[in-house]
Amino acid sequence: MPQPAHNIEKLDEHLLQVVRALHGAVKQGASHSNEPKVMDNAIQDCKEILDEIMTGNVSEWLN
Amino acid sequence: MFTDKIELKDFDKMDPEYKDLLGRVLTIQADCEIGGPHLYVEKMLPAAPTKLDQLIVARTAAEEVDHFRKVARVAGDIGVDVSFVLNQANEKRFVDAFRGLITTWEDNAVFGFLIDRVGRYQLEEFYDCSYLPLQRILPDIVTEELGHIEYGYNKTMELLSKGDEQKERVQKAIDNWYVRALDMFGHTGSSRAERYRYWGLKRRANEQARDDYMKEVNPILEKMGLRIPDPLKGRRYM
Repeated sequence: MPQPAHNIEKLDEHLLQVVRALHGAVKQGASHSNEPKVMDNAIQDCKEILDEIMTGNVSEWLN
Repeated sequence: MFTDKIELKDFDKMDPEYKDLLGRVLTIQADCEIGGPHLYVEKMLPAAPTKLDQLIVARTAAEEVDHFRKVARVAGDIGVDVSFVLNQANEKRFVDAFRGLITTWEDNAVFGFLIDRVGRYQLEEFYDCSYLPLQRILPDIVTEELGHIEYGYNKTMELLSKGDEQKERVQKAIDNWYVRALDMFGHTGSSRAERYRYWGLKRRANEQARDDYMKEVNPILEKMGLRIPDPLKGRRYM
């Protein structure tokens, strides 16, 4: 068997949590389409999660 | 032609060229998956026309992050660490279409319609490929990419219904992304593409995949009342 990349388990787990959090926020917002405030909060949650992913600071996420 | 099917446990026994090509194609695929959100999240998440569209931008990004995760896992299991592409500057992306930033809703819609479609073509290259762990992650990823293409198409149609001025803005976006989409297939007669095919990692020559793409997209553009851009103008990879 090949030697796996050193960070793959942690990275996989972290990104899976991120994806679940994003889908949760989207679902929360989309299911309240007649409540602008709930939608705004959901969008803000998505923005904060995605901002962190876009910075790509892998070593910080995994430590 | 190599026709065997390879599992992770067989990887160490493979020819060095196979290992190199598999690592390379997984790195590029991972870069393309995360390259999309890096293009549109910053400007389009706040600027999408409705709150629901904003949430769909976020959901699309979530799906692309998940695609990255799945590809990174396949790469990581063979010892290839692709995590560096998570903080790679857009200008350094492997594929030209992912360099820059999407700043208009027209570009965002057309990107989904044209570039995510190339993404689907890239993934279809791995159908029935020789590396089974890669083949196994494809169905869910392709299903989600189809959703991105459909959303891009629907949003483009929505924009086209808003009059001539808006139609010209869409046409401008088409003119930009169409040639970039064609470039994404790479050089005609590429010797590396030939080695991918030899090892059963890809199905088609670059030019054949590009030709198939044009045969699919051009009639759709015509039906939408849009001009098909000159396929040679502004191209970088012929």
